[in-house]
Amino acid sequence: MTQTAATHLLELNNISLSFKGVKAITDISFRVTEGEICALIGPNGAGKSSLLNVISGVYQAQEGHIRFDRHQRRRQRAHDAAVQGIARTFQNIALFKGMSVLDNVLTGRNLKRRSSWIEQALGIGRARAEDDRQREAAERVIEFLHLQPWRDVPVGKLPYGLQKRVELARALAAEPRLLLLDEPMAGMNAEEKQQMSRFIVDINRELGTTVVLIEHDIGVVMGISDHVVVLDYGRKIGDGSPEAVRQDPEVISAYLGTRH
Amino acid sequence: MGSFNDTPGAAPVSLPQWLRLQAQWHGPDVALRHKHLGIWQVQTWAQVADEVGRLAAGLQAHGFAAGATLAILSRPRPQALLAALAAQWLGGVASLFDPLQPGAEQRPLLAALQPEFVLAEGLEEVQRLHVAQLAPKVLIYLDRRGLSASEAFVEALDYAALLAYHPVDEPGLQGPAQHTAFVFYREVAQAIEEQRLSHAELLREGQRLVEREALGRQEEALAARAFASAGQARYLLAPWLIAGFRLNFPENLATRDRDRRELGPTLVAGTRETYTRLHGYALERLPLPGSWARRLVDWALTAPSGLLQRHLGHWLVRRPLLDVLGFSRTRAPLLVGDALAPETQAFFERLGINVRHWSDSAHWEIRVQPVKTITDDWTGRQSQLA
Repeated sequence: MTQTAATHLLELNNISLSFKGVKAITDISFRVTEGEICALIGPNGAGKSSLLNVISGVYQAQEGHIRFDRHQRRRQRAHDAAVQGIARTFQNIALFKGMSVLDNVLTGRNLKRRSSWIEQALGIGRARAEDDRQREAAERVIEFLHLQPWRDVPVGKLPYGLQKRVELARALAAEPRLLLLDEPMAGMNAEEKQQMSRFIVDINRELGTTVVLIEHDIGVVMGISDHVVVLDYGRKIGDGSPEAVRQDPEVISAYLGTRH
Repeated sequence: MGSFNDTPGAAPVSLPQWLRLQAQWHGPDVALRHKHLGIWQVQTWAQVADEVGRLAAGLQAHGFAAGATLAILSRPRPQALLAALAAQWLGGVASLFDPLQPGAEQRPLLAALQPEFVLAEGLEEVQRLHVAQLAPKVLIYLDRRGLSASEAFVEALDYAALLAYHPVDEPGLQGPAQHTAFVFYREVAQAIEEQRLSHAELLREGQRLVEREALGRQEEALAARAFASAGQARYLLAPWLIAGFRLNFPENLATRDRDRRELGPTLVAGTRETYTRLHGYALERLPLPGSWARRLVDWALTAPSGLLQRHLGHWLVRRPLLDVLGFSRTRAPLLVGDALAPETQAFFERLGINVRHWSDSAHWEIRVQPVKTITDDWTGRQSQLA
């Protein structure tokens, strides 16, 4: 994919972040083209999750700025990022365990509601018709991720792999333009990883959603990504196609360890 | 024998003619229900007949004619059933392949048969055709997800696009009722065997079942399989068209037991696997052996010796269990094919479900015609699948 300015959905310019003087991210810049799957890889502590938190507005960068679509910013709240079309999943599952799969997915539709809280509480005005629309949208996501058999099951009763899928469903329910996935396959067996990879590729190809994901399984990364960014000790040490990154000597010595 | 169309008032002699008749008599009544997006979506007899007519027109426009065969690889979906009826509407044959059959077993079969008209549900089924090195003349898909990257997708037809055609008004079957409606294939010891079911045989068997089980338009049936066996065509499809009841399709195979529970069908045409699975499902949910709750269940499931045991057992155990299994309203529990294991049969009997066995009197013949040669069938035209 050619990286022209017109097609860049996300652009990070000289982003730096530190916690009480400890540098987590140092001067990182890269671009994510609209419609691609971009993988962030690197050893533990490389700053991948911190970077995802900066993009999604959970952390505020001390230096540099981010350009998403046509909006450039240094500081932005997570809520504003969500309004702009950025949704995410978390490394440690963050779902409402006592609620059903459907209800969890519906929470992802909150920003799509137009009725006021009074209308929703009393079930009047736009609220009722809107409920039907939100339910249908949530059901479409449930169908897309093959979650129908567990629609009414409380999330806390589901196995780990399914909970990860529900979290993905909730993020997808927001109809994001950019989907940030923090280790979506962590703790999964080979079959579950294959299934989740398939879903991520389908989200990208069928829905046109741009994906930035953090993943440790190099096989998965090389298999589904269009673009790979490699971090080490908070710095970017590689950026390019999976093939280019695989051949990069600095990446090999810092992360992959040996030439395969 | 004259056709139904030519002789007003004569009994229909084919499945599509029965569909046409139901649409004329009971057009606004519900014929099909399919759970989609969590909601039971409804199609009336008139809508079903219209969709089948449109599909038939679409197939005809792409070269499908009387005597041709439409191979169908799909899980239970209304579209698969309607496509089969559309093929028959044109005087063709529907050949159903079980998508759950292991690919390694099905591949040689598909490769040998080389069907020219194929309806494949989605990516998985299209890939199965690709691996079997099939290049059908017309490939129709139901679900386009993931297909855009497939080579076969370039010339494939969307099922929905076929519905844009102006419907073929009347079922085109002009020949005798002995013509084939469905053909099933299997591979046994390197030889391909086929089983042909004529319209007449299906309607005869269906009529027999409707009469013996006193099936009426009030029945609710669940189609949890894609008519990939002769038994399903005999004991579910034909009775549906003759009796005019509602045929319900589950959301998908993984939800079929949940959907059955929600629906509470009055007619269950299951196989040994269906009843065995439900038996296992019930056993998994019974209280632990030795507990007071389990002793209550065991007491309730023994043959009732008195009024108290009969009523208490019913309200406390048998009725909730029937609800869980989706058999609370079932009055025609049918077993198609192989007999049940004695313990499964006994379990359902203790619940008050008297499973009636309807044998799947399959007549398989070795397919002697070489693949892709011209055969003289009743239309005198070429058939794609001998």
